[in-house]
Amino acid sequence: MIPKEVEKYLLKVQKPGRYTGGEMGAVIKKKEDVEVRFAFCFPDTYEIGMSHLGIKILYSLFNEVPYIWCERVFAPWIDMEEVMREHDLPLYALESGDPLCDFDFIGFTLQYELSYSNILNMLALGNVPILSKDRKGLKNIVVAGGPNCCNPEPITDFIDIFFLGDGEEVDLEVMELYRVCRKENTTREEFLRRASQIKGVYVPSLYEVDYNDDGTLRSITPRDGAPAKIEKRVMMDMDKCYYPSRFVVPNIEIVHDRAVEEIFRGCIRGCRFCQAGFLYRPVREKSVDCINEQTHTLCRNTGYDEVSLSSLSSSDYTQIVPLLTKLTEWSKKENVSLSLPSLRVDGFTDDILDKIKSVRKSGLTFAPEAGSQRLRDAINKNVFEGELMHTCSVAFEGGYTTVKLYFMIGLPTETYDDVAAIAELGQKVVNAYYACENRAKGQSVRVTISASSFVPKPFTPFQWEPQDTMEELRKKQQHLKSSITTRKITYNYHDSDTSFLEAVFARGDRKLNAVMLKAFEKGIRFDGWSDCFSLQKWLEVFEECGIDPAFYANRKRSFEELLPWDHLDYGIKKSFLQSECEKAYRSESSPNCREKCLGCGAAKYGGGVCYEKR
Amino acid sequence: MRNVRVFFKKFDECKYISHLDLNRVMLRAVGKSRLDVWRTEGFNQHAYITFALPLSLGFSSECESMDFRLLDDGMDLSLIPEMLNVCLPEGIRVFACDEAKYKPADIDAALYEAVLTADDISAKELYTAFSELLESDEIPVEKKTKKGFKTVNLKEYVRAYSLLLDERSVTLSITLPAGSSTNINPTLFITALEKKTGAEIYYNISRKEIYTKEGVPFA
Repeated sequence: MIPKEVEKYLLKVQKPGRYTGGEMGAVIKKKEDVEVRFAFCFPDTYEIGMSHLGIKILYSLFNEVPYIWCERVFAPWIDMEEVMREHDLPLYALESGDPLCDFDFIGFTLQYELSYSNILNMLALGNVPILSKDRKGLKNIVVAGGPNCCNPEPITDFIDIFFLGDGEEVDLEVMELYRVCRKENTTREEFLRRASQIKGVYVPSLYEVDYNDDGTLRSITPRDGAPAKIEKRVMMDMDKCYYPSRFVVPNIEIVHDRAVEEIFRGCIRGCRFCQAGFLYRPVREKSVDCINEQTHTLCRNTGYDEVSLSSLSSSDYTQIVPLLTKLTEWSKKENVSLSLPSLRVDGFTDDILDKIKSVRKSGLTFAPEAGSQRLRDAINKNVFEGELMHTCSVAFEGGYTTVKLYFMIGLPTETYDDVAAIAELGQKVVNAYYACENRAKGQSVRVTISASSFVPKPFTPFQWEPQDTMEELRKKQQHLKSSITTRKITYNYHDSDTSFLEAVFARGDRKLNAVMLKAFEKGIRFDGWSDCFSLQKWLEVFEECGIDPAFYANRKRSFEELLPWDHLDYGIKKSFLQSECEKAYRSESSPNCREKCLGCGAAKYGGGVCYEKR
Repeated sequence: MRNVRVFFKKFDECKYISHLDLNRVMLRAVGKSRLDVWRTEGFNQHAYITFALPLSLGFSSECESMDFRLLDDGMDLSLIPEMLNVCLPEGIRVFACDEAKYKPADIDAALYEAVLTADDISAKELYTAFSELLESDEIPVEKKTKKGFKTVNLKEYVRAYSLLLDERSVTLSITLPAGSSTNINPTLFITALEKKTGAEIYYNISRKEIYTKEGVPFA
């Protein structure tokens, strides 16, 4: 519903459809009929937020509980923000049109460090005090979930509760507790204390942190009975895990405008740079029948004619060919096309190609991540050049003429030769095209090389590693550029500035709260968007706060150092991460979870890949 | 195979669905409804739907139409509105379905209703200024065309109009040329009025009826 005062100005902003709600599948309840109102906030634009699977799952799950009404809130784009500020219009939820400050829970999903500034801005626009300590009484409980909760320390002053791990159960438990606390008329503090006793709940205000003279952490001390270690929550039986049968179907085009079916959680690979590969352990699959049924229902209910099978590495699904066979039984007839994102180079077989090609041909994207075999071993990517060449040949034989290759630069142990090897690998793919006899006749090949800058993340074997300085990253980008000698290769690279800021906040501590606050006060937001991001502004903020960002981004940490996220437990042993890091120094790869168990610690959850027969 | 035309209203939140997005919304609805509609046979096959006259973003309408080819010759067309409505957002309601009578090229004019308000000047002042503007011999505005901007005299295009003063707002009903050859957007009059008064004007525009060259409603 569009608030009346807002509608007046809607035609003055770009894409007003972002701010209206009223989509098919949106859940409208009566305020009087519910006890808990939850504003699910995505700290980015409508088109980005509506593409996110987590919000779809939790929105439907929450709304199935009769006493909860979950609504959606997105960050208004800068033109709309200007209108809202000028006319004193508070940020509102799309379903009821009510301002954010009316809600019991205000929940953010933390997907990306550069969206933190939007969180503060959205709270302020919604007339909610941005600092936890300024929010009183049993309302406006600001909670957050998502992968970045694995190190939420830079935003602990603003968020009351973090949810660690899978949210399907813990979120509901906390809302149930809230309902009880409100009936008992407890204080906000009492509610938070009780919440901290629920597994997967981290209440940052119940922990004191203390620093050494050199700025590193000395201790993290819980109080009021809060646990010393906060354990993540895991949904072990994916077939029984809640999955929505319908999505809110946007009226305007969004980034991922299709149905999405999650096929498994976790990843067996253990690429050493990849945070998701460690946070979501162990791998838990859905069964073919379950996926088939859920996918069919979703397509029927939404009207989408495209469905994406989502996971961290689709071709690692153990039953991928039987699954595709089963899905194509109805998808062809109903004109539904299947897409398989996150395909690995080594998992791309003729069988899979046949199945996805039979419906709609889309582009091919592979991520070798590093140019040389040595560096791929060091980061444990476990992809071999021969496999890439074979896969590309299969694709070229199948009529494909464009291939996108993703790489990272600035990886630990990387040399300039490793960087140049990226260009060489691209060249070899070009050569493979021309060596292919059945290639598309009369067409040239197009190889796109995209190189992003490596950002060391918590809970990865590289969590102790320094990020290359921006200057070094720029040099490497130029080195790669000059190593490319053919015009059949297009080279894209990202600005290293945003990667630097990402690195600061990814491994930041509580001292960065002051920086966030100051950045907000200076009007900084939408850092993930190049039209808004300014490193210069951020550097001024760091300067004013007396904080050196290089301390977080570019400093090598010792294995002994107490890390800001050491009180959070994602089931992965620190000793395991250290041994993986040491193997990287020796350019040694590790077997994946299906080949051999390395004892990372995730077996304690009692299921998934850890208990499959090897 | 029959050429079928459905008529629908577009209002509330759905006013803000652009023409391009409307195409997507309708394709999904047609797909979801499982109506047996003729599909294109090209590279990306999809149900073939067309719209007679695009509607500007932000306008509501009582008379939009969409055409498709129904493969099932025996189907009772009166069932179609409900079949589509359950697959559409609330702000789009299909109210009729029949075999197409006229061609989209037969469209000649449309009737719009615009409700105007302003913060800076009263409704009375707005009414007076608008009356003057509409009565004058020339209403020059800059119109964006494919070749750039040109100045047109809006007065030449006004087929009929009436102006009404309410307590807080002014309501204009106006019939303007519509269709693929000459199409005049009623917001041009608001632009001219804003220029004349210097006030920022807020408006709600609704398309009430579309007419053919014979002056009968498009069906």
